[in-house]
Parts: sequence; C-alpha cells; structure tokens
Amino acid sequence: MTNGWVDMKNTDMMLIMGGNPAENHPCGFKWPIEAKRTRGAKMISVDPRFTRTSAVADLFCQIRAGTDIAFLGGVIRYALENNCIAKDYLVNFTNAAFIVRSDFKLPADTDGVFSGLNAATQSYDRSTWNYAGAGGGAHPDSVATYAPGQAAHGANPPAPTLPEKVEYDLTLQNPNCVFQLLKKHYSRYTPEMVERITGIPKEQFLKAAELYTSIRKDGDMKKAGTIIYAVGWTQHTFGTQIIRTAAILQLLLGNVGRAGGGVNALRGHSNIQGATDMAGLFDNLPGYLKVPTPADASLEAWMKRITPTASKPASWDSFNYYSNTPKFAVSYLKALYGDAATKQNSWAFDYLPKVDRNYSWVQMWDDMYNGTVKGMLAFGMNGVAIGPDSKKNIDALKKADFLVVGEIYPDETSEFWKSPGITKDEMKQIQTTVYRLPCAGFAEKDGSFTNSARWVLWKNTALPTPGDCRVDQAIVAQIFLKIRELYKKDSGKFPDPILNLTWNYSVPSSPPLAEVLKEINGKALADLEDPATKQQIKAGQQLPGFAWLKDDGTTSCGNWIYSGSFTEAGNQTARRDPSDPSGLGLHLGWGWSWPANRRVLYNRASCDVDGKPWDPTRKQVWWNEGQQKWVGNDVPDFKVDSKPKDHMGPFIMNPEGVGRLFAPLAAFADGPFSEFYEPIESPIDNPLHPQQTHNPVVKRFKTPDDKYGTPKDGYTVVCTTYRLTELYHYWTKNNPMNVQLVPEPFVEIAAEMAQEMGLTGGEKVKVTSIRGEYIAKAMVTKRIKPMMIDGKKVYQIGIPIHQGYRGIAEDEGKDARTLVNLLTPTVFDPNAYTPEFKGFLVKLEKA
Amino acid sequence: MSQETLRIQKISGHAGSVPGEDTQRQYTVCKLIDTTTCIGCKACEVACMEWNDLPFGETVFDNSYQTMPETRWNYWNLILFNEHEREDGSLMWLMRKNQCMHCAEPGCLAACPSDGAIVQYTNGIVDFQQDKCIGCGYCITGCPFNIPKFNKETKRVYKCTLCTDRVSQGLEPACIKSCPTGCLHFGSKDDMKYLAEQRAKQLRDHYNFPKAGVYDPPGVGGTGVIYVLHDASQPELYGGLPKDPRIPLSVKLWKGPLKWLGNIAMVGGLIGLFAHYLRYGPKEREEEAKEPHEGAQP
Amino acid sequence: MSEHADQILPHGRVLRYPFGERLNHWIAAFSYIYLLLTGLAFWSPWLFWIAVLMGGGQISRTLHPWAGLIFFYAVARMHGYWSAQMKNTEVDKQWWRSISHYVQNEDDKMPPAGRYNAGQKALFWSFFYAAIVLLLTGIVLWFPEWIPWNLRWLRYISVFLHPVAALFTIANFLIHIYMSAFAERGAFGSVIHGDVTLHFAKRYHPAWYDEIVRRANAPRK
Repeated sequence: MTNGWVDMKNTDMMLIMGGNPAENHPCGFKWPIEAKRTRGAKMISVDPRFTRTSAVADLFCQIRAGTDIAFLGGVIRYALENNCIAKDYLVNFTNAAFIVRSDFKLPADTDGVFSGLNAATQSYDRSTWNYAGAGGGAHPDSVATYAPGQAAHGANPPAPTLPEKVEYDLTLQNPNCVFQLLKKHYSRYTPEMVERITGIPKEQFLKAAELYTSIRKDGDMKKAGTIIYAVGWTQHTFGTQIIRTAAILQLLLGNVGRAGGGVNALRGHSNIQGATDMAGLFDNLPGYLKVPTPADASLEAWMKRITPTASKPASWDSFNYYSNTPKFAVSYLKALYGDAATKQNSWAFDYLPKVDRNYSWVQMWDDMYNGTVKGMLAFGMNGVAIGPDSKKNIDALKKADFLVVGEIYPDETSEFWKSPGITKDEMKQIQTTVYRLPCAGFAEKDGSFTNSARWVLWKNTALPTPGDCRVDQAIVAQIFLKIRELYKKDSGKFPDPILNLTWNYSVPSSPPLAEVLKEINGKALADLEDPATKQQIKAGQQLPGFAWLKDDGTTSCGNWIYSGSFTEAGNQTARRDPSDPSGLGLHLGWGWSWPANRRVLYNRASCDVDGKPWDPTRKQVWWNEGQQKWVGNDVPDFKVDSKPKDHMGPFIMNPEGVGRLFAPLAAFADGPFSEFYEPIESPIDNPLHPQQTHNPVVKRFKTPDDKYGTPKDGYTVVCTTYRLTELYHYWTKNNPMNVQLVPEPFVEIAAEMAQEMGLTGGEKVKVTSIRGEYIAKAMVTKRIKPMMIDGKKVYQIGIPIHQGYRGIAEDEGKDARTLVNLLTPTVFDPNAYTPEFKGFLVKLEKA
Repeated sequence: MSQETLRIQKISGHAGSVPGEDTQRQYTVCKLIDTTTCIGCKACEVACMEWNDLPFGETVFDNSYQTMPETRWNYWNLILFNEHEREDGSLMWLMRKNQCMHCAEPGCLAACPSDGAIVQYTNGIVDFQQDKCIGCGYCITGCPFNIPKFNKETKRVYKCTLCTDRVSQGLEPACIKSCPTGCLHFGSKDDMKYLAEQRAKQLRDHYNFPKAGVYDPPGVGGTGVIYVLHDASQPELYGGLPKDPRIPLSVKLWKGPLKWLGNIAMVGGLIGLFAHYLRYGPKEREEEAKEPHEGAQP
Repeated sequence: MSEHADQILPHGRVLRYPFGERLNHWIAAFSYIYLLLTGLAFWSPWLFWIAVLMGGGQISRTLHPWAGLIFFYAVARMHGYWSAQMKNTEVDKQWWRSISHYVQNEDDKMPPAGRYNAGQKALFWSFFYAAIVLLLTGIVLWFPEWIPWNLRWLRYISVFLHPVAALFTIANFLIHIYMSAFAERGAFGSVIHGDVTLHFAKRYHPAWYDEIVRRANAPRK
C-alpha cells in the first residue's frame, strides 16, 4: 500500500475493485467502515459478484472478470472529459507535461499494440517508449522480461536510457506530451465501449465514474479518494497493468501521497508483504534490488545497470533516491558474507547467484514437469492446491526425485500421490520420496509480520511447539549447516559462497529471529559520523536507518528498507504505543513501518507546490518556513531541506521525481500505458481490436497438461475463484470450528442460469474447464446476474477455493473433495509472473 | 449461570417479592447492532462459541452463506443472510446478527413456570439458570423471536446470556469484542439509543436510505439489543425480524385473565361445595343407607 | 372369580363395577391426581412447591406427559366400557330440568336415572373430550422444540387450551369427588369393592334397579 489500513479512515471515497476486503480482510475493513461512519465517505464496489463488501457499499457494479482496465480506462476518460482532475498536481507532480518521442505509437495508431512489438519473440523493443530530450546515461529500473523458459539476458544490446534533460510543455498542449497521449489513448474507453467489454450498463458505469470523480469536482483539491484492490487485479495476464491504470487515475485526481488516498494493495496473508520485501520474487534481492544477471560481468556493471540517474526538466530538481543503490547493494553483500566481502573481491559480488531466466512459480513447476527440477522443499504453502493447473503440479511431482514438506497438517502436496483419480497401480509407479516434517504453527513462533500497510509488527510465541514439531528456521538452518559441513569436507565446484556465509547466531541450529532482524536492520562495521549533524555511531552498533548505509564496506544491512527496524534503541517493531496525536491514524509509535517509519508514501504530494497541505484539516507534512525544512505529523517522504521553490518532485524513487502517467522504457514489459486485453480464456474477441485479443507478450506453456479453452470448444461460462472469510486457504478444513461455518464446497450460480438449467440450490453441479473438473453443490443466488458482453449473453460463476482432498471430511471417510485449481490455466502476468486465476472459461452441468 | 455480583429484578415462576427490584440505579445495558455496517464475517459467531465453550455441531450446505437455518441450543449467535431486491432494482444482501434480544418485558420469563429458571438482572440482562430449568419449553412459546433452544440430552433450554459473566466484571460481551468493523457496540441503553439514532439519521440524510431507523420494539417494552436497519419499516426482510413483536396473546391470556379466572373458579368451587355440604349435607344419613333392603331376591 | 356387571351378589348387593372397570378407574384417578398436582405446580408460582414435593420440577415435567398418556389411556378404556351407557336420553333432559331438586337433595323428585344419571354422563363426556384436548395440546407442549417456527400458532393455541381444558376437568373433578366421597354414601365403595347395596341402586339409579330386578327374575336360558 502507498497508504495504510488505518489511513483509510481519512478517505472521502473508496473504489474497491479486484478485492473483497470485507470477506478477506475483515479486520482492516474496520477503517473503510469508519470513514463511512465518521466522514460520510462513499464506497463503490466493482466485482464479478455482489460480495460481502458490496453489501455495505453505496454503489455496486457487476463487472466481467478481467475487464478492469476497460472500467478504469473509462473512468480516466470521464475524469478528463469532465474536468475532474487535479490540474496543479498533474503539471507539477506527474510527468503529464513531459514530451514523448515522436516515434512512439499508441495501440490506437497501430493494430492494438504499442510501437516496437516483435511478434515472433512476443516481446517489445521498448526504445520508443521514451521521453524526448537531451543527454542520457541513466538506466532506469531495468526490469527484464522473463518469458517462459527463455533466457532473457546475456545477448541483450545495451539498454536504452532516459534523457537527462527532458523536453516538456507546462501548458499540456503539445500533442506529444504525456497528457495529450494519455487523453488520446483513453478516449477510446467510451461508456459504450466500457459496457461492451465489462457488461456494466452504461448508466450504471456513468454513475460510478461520476461518483468516484466527484471528489475532484471542478478541480477542488480538498477531498481524497482511495483505490483498494487485491488479487482480483493481480491474478491476470495483465494484472500489473490494471494496477498501472489505477495509479494513472489516482495521479490524475491528485490522490497519491494524500491521507485517505493512494493505491492500496490488500495482501492476502499476514506476512505476504514481508515475504515480498525479503525477495519473495526470483528477480529481486531483499529491498527490491534487481538481481544480477549473467550479463553483469562485474559489480560495477551491475550497479551501472540498476542505478538510475535523474531524468527531468532542466529547471526542476529530482532526488532520485535510487542513486543510492550501490550503498544498499554493498551493505547487503557485507551482511551476507561479512569479512569475506572485501573491496578487492568487489564485496563478494561473484558469490551472488546470477539469474539467467525465469524462475517464477509457474515456471518452477513447468521445469519440474520437464525434468530439470528434481526436488522441492515446500514450506508455508501447499503447492499442489494453490496451483494453477493442479494436475500439472501433481504430474510434475510424480517426476521429481524428492519432496520435503514442512506443514502443520498433512496436506495435498505431501499426499499428491493419492490425489483423487490416481489408481493403486499408478501409485506404485510413483518413485518420488516424500519427507513430511511437522512444523510450528504461527502461534508457535515469534518473528514479525509485515502487514499490507508496510507496518512491521513483532509477535511473541504464544504456545510451545507440540511433539517433534520444529520452527521453520531450525529446519532450514540445519539443512544449511549440513550442506556447509559437506562442502567443508568434500569441497565442491564453488564452495566459497556457502563456507563464507555469515552465520553468527547464538543458536546456529535454530537462529533466534530477533537476531535475524538485527542483521536485516544492519550495523556499523567501523566508527561512522554524519558530517552534517556530527552524530556518531560506533563500530558494531545497530544503524538507526538506511541514510547511514555506505558503499565502502563500513556498513552491513540485510535489507535496506528494513533499516531502522531494530536499532540501538531496541526492536522497533515490538513497540506498542497506540497514541496518535494528529488523529490521522499514523500511530508512529506502533510497530515500525518501512521505509523510515513513514506511514504514507510520497506524502510530499499532500501539499501544493508551495508546501501547504491541500487539505488543512488533514495535515500530514508541510514546509516550515521558519525551520527551512519539511516537518509534519508523518515522517516526510522527501529531502527534508529541499525548498519548495527548487521544485523537487515528490516521487523521489523515480529518476524523474514525478509520478509516471507514462512509464518509460523497461518499466513494464507490455506498455507504458495500460491497454485492455482479454484474459487468455475469454468469451469474446477484444472489442477494441479483435485482431489483438490478448496481451501480445503473454506466452503459453507447451506441455500436454497446458491446454487453453475457447468458446468454440463449448467453454462459454466465465469462472472466477476467490476465498471465503470463514476459511483460511487450505488449512482450516482441518478445524471443526471453520468446517461448521462452511461445511461443504459450493459454486455460486446466477438464479437465471440455474433456472435455464433446471437447477435448484443444493444440487450438485460439475464445472469443467479444458484442464479438469470440479464438483460441488450449487449456490443459486441473485448476487450474480447474467451479463450482455458485446451483444452476447454471458454467465459468470464463482468458486471459493479452500477445498481439497485432505481434511476433516476425508478423515471421516467422506468422498474426497477436489481442488478448484484443477480448473485454472498455467499462464501469467509478464511483469509480476502472477498466474491468471481469475476469469477463465468453463462449462457447467448437473452432476 | 447465576452471577453473584448482579442483582435480580425479575424472576420467573416466582411467588412474592424480588430481592433486587428497584434496589439499584444501575444502567440498563444494551447491545447496538448496526446492520448497515455488518459484513457477515461471523467473528461474533465464533467468539460466542469460544467464550461460552459451546460444543461443535454438524451443519450442511443450505444454499446460503448462513451457518445454519436458525440458532441452536449450542449456537446462540447466528448471522442471518438475506438477499433483497430494492424497488430501483439494486440488490441488498442483508446481514443480521440474531441472538437473544433481552427484552425489557421478556416473554420467556413470563411464560416460565419454574421458580428462578429465568431471571432478569437489574442491568436488563435476561438470563436462563439451567440448574432451575425444568425443561417445559414454555419459554420457547413465550419468546416472539424464536430464541430459546431445547437440548434433548439435558432437557434444558439455552440461549445467549449477553455474556453476563463478562458484563458483570465490566467487560463487553464476546461478540462485541470480536467485531472487526465496529458494527457492534455495547453500553448503556441511553447511549446506544443515541448512537443508533445518529447513525440512522446519517443513513437517511446522506446514504439514500430514507426509511432507515432504529429497531427497539415497544411491544416487549424495548429490547436490550437494538438494531439500526436500512429500512425500519420492513424488519421482516432481515430474516423475519418481527415488525411488532409481543408476547403471544395466548400466553398473555393464559398468564393473565385465565389465571385469575381459574384461581377464582377453583377456590370458589371448593368453597361452594363445602357450603353445599354445610347446607344440605349428604344425600342420605348413614343410618338411612344401612337400611335393610327389601326387594328382589337373588 | 368371574364377574360381570349388574350381577346380584349375596347380602343384598349388586355388582356395579367389575374388577376391570375398577382398576381402570383408579388408573385414571391416580394419574389424574398426579397430573392435577404437577399441573397446578406449573400453573401458579404459588403452587410451585408442589413440584418440589413431587420430586422436583424436572421430574414433574418429565413425568407429567407420561402420566397424561396413562390418563388418556384409562379414559379411552372408560369410553370402551361405558360409552354405550352414556348416551343421552329423554329422561336425562328431564333430569337436567330438575337439577335444582338434585342439588337440594330432593332425589325423590328426580326422574328415574338409569345406571348413570345425566350428571354422571356429563362428567364422563366432559372428561372424555377434555382428555382429547389435553392429549393433543399436551403433545405440542411436550415437544415444543419440534414445532417449526412457522407452525408456532400450534404452541400458542396449546399453551392456552391445555390449562383451559384442565380447569374444565378440575371443575368436574371437584364435583365428582364431592358427590362420590361426600354426597352419595356408598358411591366411593362402589369403585373399591365394586358393589353397592340394592338400596343404593334403587335410590340413586331406580331405572337401573328395575332393570336388574327384571333381569334377575327373567327365566334363565
């Protein structure tokens, strides 16, 4: 989240899409309700079903799964047409005025793709996605595109760069300025087009667009609106671009950086944010540093590639905070390898693995299926159940040599070999050795949770682990120590990274997590002094924050964004001071929030150009003329002594210093603006450009288990999957309390569809996709309605996940239940590699 | 269970005075349920189960998100889910937490024949004392909200206690504690009434619910659980919340006029017969009856 | 010893109630008294102490319906024994018209009653119909948890009719006790020993007496 859970109480308007927080985040949902009750805020719920969130929303639009870009594009168009935009914000805080290269082409000018598409390789040459201007050398965030199975680096030509001095037009009239391109691009998302694509009747859509943009009526800046989303957006082959569209809308309306504003991702598990921060994705190192690739021959080459230089209008200033990247990277290497990382060996850069291709979730299973991955350690997740395409994952595991599962219950993954449909004879053929390790549950371990709001919150152990159960870090540590012992004994091809890994824990076989957090926070390796304040830190002391990090080997830090979480003052994440003097829900003494304990990102943008808050009743930070610095209730997310007249952009993590309506160069694999494409399985051709229905850079997998259905094959019903508040993932079917609340699997079906099928609630139905089938009882409801999609009547159905072939029902000898992910396709978003769980095609019949 | 720290102002099946009646100036406690902010998360259901340590029961899928069709002897707190189409075609998914309403004039208590099986504390909580319950089930008939539930094993009736054990120690009931959205509030009746009216006003003025209002039915003397409803004119939409709940007429007749008539008749009958005996005596004197019989011979 | 009704016994007595009928009467009587006592305990808080005396509220509540079944069984058997004799006749109408004489013990001014006078017949039918109402409403009250919410009117009706019917029986019961134990000497003994004196028969049931005599004098077949 740019903002935070508690901050939502400050909002005047909520657009909740691609998420159902009332269902999945009931505790956090307190704050949207608070905003309604105390501020009279309005809530718009856009969802394929009328959900628990919709039940308390002021307006509901039923959208076809996967068409969110069309909806948001339509709202952008509406805001522009009706002057519901934040003009000053737009000109000064975004790249609206920047001029784009004249050879850049929009999908409107081509066949539905941006300029530079190589149809054969299904990838973009993104050099035209750039600003016009002079100078250069900056390498903006060089996110590589990792297509399935393909090496993305190595043979690449030098990446194109952003100009140092960007051409701009503050009147926003230049036809090639970002603002005009944006206008042109989204002008195609008319209410009629929105209706054809999304199925939301034009009048209903206009109601929603009018309501949401009403906060910026005639450009008045007092109010703020927030956009709240979850995996309903991310789990698509264009998921990142949906979020981009939301970001563009929020920048247009001047909602980013504001209390009660922002673009807010609701994370699906208690610590999924923490996992992501700690390199949950294969192409990140902790703190979102880009991994080195084989092309990065040296530390310098790597640093040159991933450290941007400022790119801005000449008269403006840009903090370009990522210019500090080498400090973060070297401190990280020092944390990993300690004294073995020296200036001479480039801080042990060679020890770091170089990532040569895609190693994302779906790819891993594909690799195992194809025999290149031989074993798996599965902790804290149930790989078979969470899919997609569970059958492919089960088939992959059959081919593996070994599988280690650390869990608190026997799960589907550890019992993949007896999933429904496998005969006794087939079981005998499966040679995979499965090790099942009893682990500790969440209440049996300490450590921290990082919530959706980036708040890192320490928790204590509530209960001892039962029996032989062990905490995860003990298992992982003991595997590591064993491997290190083997390397010590037998040497090996390259033992140094293993032998030199820092392992200074008081209990090496089970590292105390507080010590790990201290290591992540970082410490001084030599005596340090801040030249400005003369503050000193002695060697060995914990660092107060990432501003102290050095690229000369005098600091170590496991994750720069967590620097400040465990200082000399102690474990900051364990703080529990609930006070909130400003009333803005900042609670600076409650836990600790990255970065630097600031609660709302880009909060400089909560003020106008002169440094005065847009809304004096919600003062977050402001320029204090007397002190000549930025001060506030929140920690300013800005260079504190940068005077307003210097015109430094508030978006300090971008080399431009401003928000990106247009995301240049390699920022995204599939376009600098968002464009609506159909899900891989969709009931119609893309009404915007039927010849280019899908995201052009999305690739399909090729194994026999990878099949994709079409309406021609009879798959005409749009299906989406989701969670229920009563159950937690695939765990709670082992808990009688939860099972009592939702005893059986079900499929939500529109009453009209049920009537056509002669189906009544409670009867069994069979849902079939081209990959598999799912049997459950029908929940016939008015909460899903048939839709008219591009003139075609289309039904949607919804299936809660949570069921599988391991649980109380199975223990009682009842028929094994099936996994919903037997239905879902293996295909993923080209930027975040998230599979497309939402919006695939099925057919439905009585079982 | 009886709470020593709570004084009793009404007792079921009780002859004579009540020890706590009018002896305290304690606040009447009240639970406010704002159905317009309920998200049906069932945290209250689970909290109720947990706090009261109720055993699990079997449920089956019933074409609904609702856990079970109605409350059970071991399930005192149930959110009722109802789909409702408004006149303008928009859909509402109404969720109402259903539990004992803790009526000021409780029908269960009125109907109960067992001395002390149902009590009302001076703070307004209506509580069942299972040790004194005789299992007659009259409370089931007396309740206009279908709340008391019979346990076939113990032959006693159970329901929400408003967590008397917690409330008597100054805590809020478990359901209130667990509610994530703040849809549930707990406090004095006056405060809750005020809060509820404020919210209803906001819904009327600002949120397109012109008929929003507070449910605190006077037919049972008001309730210790009050609702904010989007449409107070149609409480039936919320899983059959009675529009004008009252203690059933037959129960009132039975416990009122019939009782008096019956008592008068019985006592009057006894007196009458005695008087008759005094006035007329037996139909025959003893000696008469023993008179030798002349008549047919065997 | 085989018994049959109306048999003339030695010592000037006549058999009024054979053993089966006597036994049945007392089954009805004891079950009714139990029902009456426990019922009264539930009727008024002032009488709840009776339930305590009877073993406690729980036991009273548990046994009351079973006693009710027994009582109903006995009443049903009475119906089998006596319903034919309980038919209203022209004489009964006259009897009712002369009720004030009966109340004032001027039995000689009463029309001749048969085996049962009109008052006894009324008692019989009162108990019979009341027992049916008590049974039906009693079953509803026995298992209130089985009555679905939309049939709750059944409970509402039952909870009212059950005591109404009970009160009705109580009125009858009081008169019955009074008449049998206090007013008519010999009546009580008739349900103990089974027989009454011929004098008793002649005095209270002259038509019956005539019938007995007629039959006794009739030639044997």
